[in-house]
Amino acid sequence: MAYILQQLLTKSAKAYPDKPAVWARGRSISYRELDERSNQLAHLLRQSGVEKGDRVGLFFPKCVESIVSMLGVLKAGGVYVPLDPQAPADRIGYIIGNCGIQVLITNEERRAALPPETVSTLECCILTEGEGNRSDLVAWSQLSEFLASEAPKVTMVETDLAYILYTSGSTGRPKGVMLTHQNALTFVEWCAEEFQVRSEDRLSNHAPLHFDLSVFDVYNTLAAGATVYLITEDLALFPTSLASFIESQGITIWYSVPSALMLLLLYGRVTSEKLRSLRVILFAGEVFPMKYLRQLAEVSTASDLYNLYGPTETNVCTYYKVERERLAEFNTLPIGIACANTECFSVTPDGRLAKPGEPGELYVRGPSVTNGYWADPEKTKKMVVPNHFEEHFEEKMYRTGDIVTVGDDGNYYFQGRRDSQIKSRGYRIELGEIESALLSHSDVREAAVLAIPDELIGNRIRAVVVPHVPGSLGVLQLQQYCASRVPKYMIPEIIDLCDELPKTSTGKIDRVKLATEAAALP
Amino acid sequence: MSKHDGEMKMIEQAEVKGRIREYVLEEFAKTKGINHITDQEILTKNGVIDSMGIFRLVSFLEETFNVRIGDEEITHDNLESVDAIERLVIAKSKK
Repeated sequence: MAYILQQLLTKSAKAYPDKPAVWARGRSISYRELDERSNQLAHLLRQSGVEKGDRVGLFFPKCVESIVSMLGVLKAGGVYVPLDPQAPADRIGYIIGNCGIQVLITNEERRAALPPETVSTLECCILTEGEGNRSDLVAWSQLSEFLASEAPKVTMVETDLAYILYTSGSTGRPKGVMLTHQNALTFVEWCAEEFQVRSEDRLSNHAPLHFDLSVFDVYNTLAAGATVYLITEDLALFPTSLASFIESQGITIWYSVPSALMLLLLYGRVTSEKLRSLRVILFAGEVFPMKYLRQLAEVSTASDLYNLYGPTETNVCTYYKVERERLAEFNTLPIGIACANTECFSVTPDGRLAKPGEPGELYVRGPSVTNGYWADPEKTKKMVVPNHFEEHFEEKMYRTGDIVTVGDDGNYYFQGRRDSQIKSRGYRIELGEIESALLSHSDVREAAVLAIPDELIGNRIRAVVVPHVPGSLGVLQLQQYCASRVPKYMIPEIIDLCDELPKTSTGKIDRVKLATEAAALP
Repeated sequence: MSKHDGEMKMIEQAEVKGRIREYVLEEFAKTKGINHITDQEILTKNGVIDSMGIFRLVSFLEETFNVRIGDEEITHDNLESVDAIERLVIAKSKK
């Protein structure tokens, strides 16, 4: 029984040494190679000063080396932090500083994009592409100098941290969700059982590695001795190429946000024949519009479809296996029932369990739930709260912020958020983070950011900005300013400049009025 | 002479690349804080164009250059850079 993630690889490397473990950009790596390369990387990391619990950043586009790096960091006893390779330098610099990353695995081009003050805090950069032969700049080719046959000896337990995933933060800066080996393995073990992942399976990895959907793709592959196919941008953005890829590689398990599947349906010319290899299709991250889900159900005749639900803090906590015969009756798809080894409650504002049909906030307890946010005890205290239903001992549970109801069928149904977190293309976005970015501009007096519901991508982002001096700011100028502070998917698509924002009687920004006005605009 | 040939003569070939470059820069790159792109730059790699952007780009090409681009032609090879897009438009307009 594995209690730390890297044991999944060690076990499969013994059972299937010559089988491809990872495929990306036309290259693959066998289980033996993955095991040996990650051992070598672990030794290099130890030599570079990485000790147990140290955070190591991964900052380069998805490729075979991404998976080697994740495993290498774990084998060194470290905690990996996948960084969005397309995020602005300022944001990456903040994360590196926030969790104290001193060793970074990157490439020459991405390293050059970092703020100089961030580079100067790094003790060592290991380059997946590029030259390096100094103690603080090491080329990937130097891995061959290290011991391949076994990993460094580090004492580890299942409650040690494995990785930190940064998500949008409402106060203007991203927050680091801390996940332990046990958190991840609880989820992986449930998936292995529920989806019966086998060594013959070929899994897709559509999500970026800083997105928690990838945890299933990578670790359930390793647990089963299967093969994971990393979908890179040359495939992900081109639906017909992607559909052909699924067919030619014989992908058997697919996992992505619904919008990726919707693009396949709309532009990928998919047919039942093309998708015949897919036996399981999983989707998560946003609401799947019923119209498109019905289309998917019609075309993916060989597949079981599952709606997985859960914030990064719990990975996945509920699931619904789509009953095709009920699709006509649903207006919205249920998020289902709790996964094994996970318990969910719906709690009313006055702290009691909600009755069937009554809205409540979804709380989650169990070994898959995070201990909180890196270096942010205040935020942790707000979200990871004492389980007041347990009278005899102390226990924590996570409050998701999602409002749900329980239907007559026993399933949870998502009803909305209790705050201003939204989803766009499956990305979790705090509107407050975008507002903070706008307000940090010296010429901006007031700003409000709104989500405009959109069938295809979930939500579009619209901002209303009041400059200090009318006429002093341009839309493009503000978009460019946002681009330097937030990821591209958070830049407001539309910015309205005006002289004042509507206010409520108490002087607060009238968001209801703004949203109504915005919804009426083209 | 087909209608497409006529259209293409009106927009000189040399102008094609300029219009593609300008559209990509104004429509996608600048709003994402990127003020300069080379004709060889891989537009998908640095996030200049996202999944919805690809289809906006294709509509622009079809309308501006009066060409028809099939779903199966919307590929990375055909749309990866300003140079590649120009090759596609010129090849399509000669058909």
